[in-house]
Amino acid sequence: MKTIKELNDKKIPIVRIDNSLEKYKAMPIFQDKVDKANETLRTIGLPKIPAKSQ
Amino acid sequence: MNLPRYELKAEKSLTVFEFTSEGPKGQIPKIVKFSETTLKGFYNLAFGDKNLESGEIDDTIVSNNGDSEQILATVVSAVYSFTESESEAWVYATGSTNSRTRLYRMGITKYLDEITQDFLVFGLRDNEWEEFKKEIEYTAFLVKRK
Repeated sequence: MKTIKELNDKKIPIVRIDNSLEKYKAMPIFQDKVDKANETLRTIGLPKIPAKSQ
Repeated sequence: MNLPRYELKAEKSLTVFEFTSEGPKGQIPKIVKFSETTLKGFYNLAFGDKNLESGEIDDTIVSNNGDSEQILATVVSAVYSFTESESEAWVYATGSTNSRTRLYRMGITKYLDEITQDFLVFGLRDNEWEEFKKEIEYTAFLVKRK
């Protein structure tokens, strides 16, 4: 069993599930940002992954 | 990267997170959302203040609660959590203003050595993606788990 210190030092956080947040999945929040991301994808695409990282 | 960060809660697919900023301006709830774009596996990361009365989210408001580093550390931990379940996802982010984009760049720069242990990190400059380098003004960022 991990100690509290080991748990707190993890990069991956402990996340509590809250079903009340489900409503935000369908909500178009930050839509202008999503539109901008789509435009960037359309015009620029994705980067090439460096060979040493594959 | 063991920085102070706020506790996170999320819905079960780990695409919407919430945490509460605490400081001189009181408790300010914040929402972080990973929204899939038209390209499957490519997500936009955004976060903003939740209005407790209306439930609306505002990513342009300046809260000035004195905890920007802790907020960024918390958002980074949400990225770790999200990409733990979506390990092939690309995560795109840019600020709602130029000054916010610069703040994010400074945060990435500060912890670049730690971040690149786990992520490929790219910056957008002159309409081209390149591997993130310090001291370069990028207009957007893209990360992917290694």
